Amino acid sequence: MMRRAIVPAAFALVLSACGPKAAPPPTPSEALALRPADARLAGLYETSCHACHAVAGTGAPLVHDRAAWDGRYKRGEAVLLNHAIQGFNAMPAGGQCAACAPDDFKALIRFMAGREDPAK
Amino acid sequence: MISRRGALIGGGVGAVVAAGGAGYAIATGDKPEPPAPPSVDARGRLLWRNWSGIQKAYPAARLAPKDDAELASALKAAQAPIRPVGAGHSFTALAPTDGTLVSLDALSGVVGWEGDEAIVRAGTRLGALGPMLAEKGRALPNLPDINKQSLGGALGTGTHGTGAAIRAIHGDVTALRLVAPSGQVIDADAARNPEIFQAARVSLGTLGVITQVRIKTSANRRLRRRVWLEPFEEALAQAETRWAQHRNFEFYAVPFTGLAANISHDETDDPVQPRGPDQDAEVLRALRALRNLLGFATPLRKAAGHALLSTAKPETAVDEGWKLLSTERPVRFNEMEFHLPVENQLKALAEVVRVIEKERPDVFFPIETRRIAPDDAWLSPFQGGPRGSVAVHAYYRDDFSFLYELIEPIFRRYDGRPHWGKLHSLNGSQLAAIYPRWKDFLAVRKDLDPEGRMLNPYLRGLLGLT
Repeated sequence: MMRRAIVPAAFALVLSACGPKAAPPPTPSEALALRPADARLAGLYETSCHACHAVAGTGAPLVHDRAAWDGRYKRGEAVLLNHAIQGFNAMPAGGQCAACAPDDFKALIRFMAGREDPAK
Repeated sequence: MISRRGALIGGGVGAVVAAGGAGYAIATGDKPEPPAPPSVDARGRLLWRNWSGIQKAYPAARLAPKDDAELASALKAAQAPIRPVGAGHSFTALAPTDGTLVSLDALSGVVGWEGDEAIVRAGTRLGALGPMLAEKGRALPNLPDINKQSLGGALGTGTHGTGAAIRAIHGDVTALRLVAPSGQVIDADAARNPEIFQAARVSLGTLGVITQVRIKTSANRRLRRRVWLEPFEEALAQAETRWAQHRNFEFYAVPFTGLAANISHDETDDPVQPRGPDQDAEVLRALRALRNLLGFATPLRKAAGHALLSTAKPETAVDEGWKLLSTERPVRFNEMEFHLPVENQLKALAEVVRVIEKERPDVFFPIETRRIAPDDAWLSPFQGGPRGSVAVHAYYRDDFSFLYELIEPIFRRYDGRPHWGKLHSLNGSQLAAIYPRWKDFLAVRKDLDPEGRMLNPYLRGLLGLT
């Protein structure tokens, strides 16, 4: 767990030294308040991902924390989707979203990773 | 659970164990990740798994109704077995279905108040309910030690916290709305449809889908939480006094250390003193490393474990109860918990610890010991009198067959009733012998669902309907 946290953090440090400065992670209250723009997706998010990904210190990468997400995101959507369906480390299978379809998982991952805009 | 010990044990244990070669031990002592089932089956159906990973299904259909009418309409035509699911925190096969999986995630929130009783949608996650009730200065009187569950799932399985004078969550439900598989919408309380009310409060999702309940709340008081370690024998000797003394009290026997961790919560007006981040994973990693390093030599493991844990300092925190009573539980496990007559609880616990330390050096999870006040729901494990619970956990990668082979016989010998969502092997005839209203429950079930559309194969066996 610690290694997973360190690797993306170190990667982010390197990136920040070489390229445009990454946006700072959300504050705890900002993380709690963030929601997907789409109302249905926001509903799915609130009853599943939000419990861990919106709360600092749970071990889950915090929503919109690019330093925590970018290394994971580079592994590809298919890998992250499979982790979401199967569960991965502390994350339970399906992210505890029994109503989510694969496209919902993909959209939720993009939202949490701060990649709602594909150009970013 | 562990987080409450986390501040006690802290990083020191982890550091000492890591310095002692935990990396090597974990590499050589841990079992691999259990094999993953396909994410999609041959028919293109998406995998569903429970939290611990031992239950799975590929439902033909998934429903996420937005209101009672949509659910009622959908249930009439839904492919059986129809199984409601919440967060998937049950270890038993309550949810798996190759028919229709019903999520109530879209039926969430507090929708009204009647005095101090809240009307809450059954899909509301317990962790989300705390702040909703706190907006009105109210709280659930108690919470389980995980708060990821949906309210409906928690009610359906008789989920509980701890406190000699505090009931399980379903014990505070005063009315409910049930959508039967026929599509009929039924409101039930002590006066309207009283038999359905008594049957449905703990009903494993077998009568239909409960969509909302009216539930008692209490003032959202601040609690002072204390966590402290002491010798296991002392914890046993003092437990009854502490249950009588504290609003909430529980303790964990830490096998292979000779120690127990006590946790109490009491009301206070003192200023907030936050709990700080959970350290569950770190503490469990330390205990697992001790198992891996010294599991071959129990006396050495006990000496090392005792020495390491004894350095931990007591912890105190003050905050609103909904922020303290539940924890994150980031390390997955499988679990068996039985609810015993209170006079048998500590005898059973002592026997469980003895047999684990003698027979199963692979176990490292602490053993949880709680007390629950009685209620009168027909299938409530706490029906007819207070119960004391004892819960044994197995790391999700580890073999848990010992729960059935070694632990369950102890619990049954001491007249325990199983937690409905946790591992056990009891069948319909065995359960009929320990629940006096069993036949009444079955009669209500048959009336509401004569074709058994809410039953999967596991539930047919559990209810003795095969």
